[in-house]
Amino acid sequence: MLEPRIEEFLRSRVPAAEGLAVSALHRIPGGASRETWSFDATWRENGGSVVSRGFILRRDPDASLLESDRDLEFRVMAAARAAGVPVPEMYWLEQDVSWLDRPFFVMERIDGCETSPTKVLMDPRLFAHREKIAQQFVAILARIHNLDWRALDLEFLGVPADESACAIKELDKWEEVVDREALEPQPVLRAAFRWMRRHSPRPAERIVLVHADYRTGNFLCDAEGTIQGILDWEMAHLGDPLDDLGFTVIRPWRWLGNELMCGLMERDDFIRRYEAASGLSVDAESLRFWEVLGNVKLAAIFLTGARSFCEGRTRSPMMAFLGRNVSRLELEIMDLMGV
Amino acid sequence: MKPNGLEALRAIQATLVETLMPELQSMFAQDSAQTIAMLVESLAAEWDAAAADLHTDNEAIRGVLAAAASALLALPGRNENRDALVIDVDGVMREAGDGSGAVSSLSAENDRLRLVLEHLLSFIEDTSGELDSEGLDETRRAAYRHLRQVATRGWCFWDVASFRERMVQARAETQT
Repeated sequence: MLEPRIEEFLRSRVPAAEGLAVSALHRIPGGASRETWSFDATWRENGGSVVSRGFILRRDPDASLLESDRDLEFRVMAAARAAGVPVPEMYWLEQDVSWLDRPFFVMERIDGCETSPTKVLMDPRLFAHREKIAQQFVAILARIHNLDWRALDLEFLGVPADESACAIKELDKWEEVVDREALEPQPVLRAAFRWMRRHSPRPAERIVLVHADYRTGNFLCDAEGTIQGILDWEMAHLGDPLDDLGFTVIRPWRWLGNELMCGLMERDDFIRRYEAASGLSVDAESLRFWEVLGNVKLAAIFLTGARSFCEGRTRSPMMAFLGRNVSRLELEIMDLMGV
Repeated sequence: MKPNGLEALRAIQATLVETLMPELQSMFAQDSAQTIAMLVESLAAEWDAAAADLHTDNEAIRGVLAAAASALLALPGRNENRDALVIDVDGVMREAGDGSGAVSSLSAENDRLRLVLEHLLSFIEDTSGELDSEGLDETRRAAYRHLRQVATRGWCFWDVASFRERMVQARAETQT
């Protein structure tokens, strides 16, 4: 019953559209923090030719892995696109729940692309392009970190007091999530927070826009191995560039089961390429801190989903399932802590 | 003889994967069904040994806490955090389970013990390098050894993907 309501919304936003029709509406798997829907829309403008476009609608879920601000994601994606980062075009942000029961935004659908790590890394067509994908993967991350976030009006994300405040700000944020969401004792996560407070990283080389979920699975890749869009900016913030790197290198994203970061390249290779592309340096001990935090962060996200499930705010099997998968992250955290 | 819980879970899983999933048209429905199949796999992996594992874990944590109590009491000087921790350890060690052997009861006992283990590890990490105590160092090693065994247990979807090689190594480590 969503189709007619989306049609009504589009009519309000494209008043010149005549005979507007929405079709092929279907929900896309993934995107556990928001519902993701794909649909086609056709209309005629000013009695002229028929316009046909594909759209993606991201709607707040009944319960989520992460309570995130759709306004933030919309604005950051629009800003990144304006600055030349490959990001789908952002069309409308709607906070009025009368349209579709919950807030949502609508963006461009980029067709002919894969996002699934299995497809991106193992599809024979894309396998031949892995080096090209790896090169762009690093270059785009470096480009994001070199954006002038002040010029893009991204101060609303919250500017850390200074370069040395980035780590503590993130640490406090994620410890608060664990405090709020954990339903049972978490000895490993608690010990990790203590360990991190005693192993502070170097101050950030400079404060940058951090995507915060930069990995294989969060970009659109076409059949020629060109990255057409970076997705899932809902955790974006201003902080240390190593914050991004630390999350990118965590084991869960080493999809091939070996030591290739994001299934694309060796760790040293990733760091060397990143340093060359960004002009920033990567301190190995600081990166270890951020990698511990990356694993803790993912565990905290899973705990959030588990609480939503256990408190009956969602029946999503994904929330129940992910909530049962914190143990492997604990193993990784203990490895990184060297205990 | 009747099908036991594990056999019933396997039947649910097989029907889901072999009969229902091929009939599902939408990608989202297929993805949800696959998630349910993995959730069932995760339940099946712990089904038979759930009570035994919890019992073993509770005994292991009691062992760690008992050693910790001695090490904490042997520390020189007075320290509020240490004293509070000793009281916590003492309290939880006095509490016995209800002896029912029910998973819910063992699990509740496990939560109580893990909460004190959490406090203990926080104390140890906070004071790391400051206290010259072989007893606490050994307690720390024993606590993490136990937590590693627990973290390696069961089935996780990453075991067949990103953690594939790591889990082979981890399981070999816990067996030695």
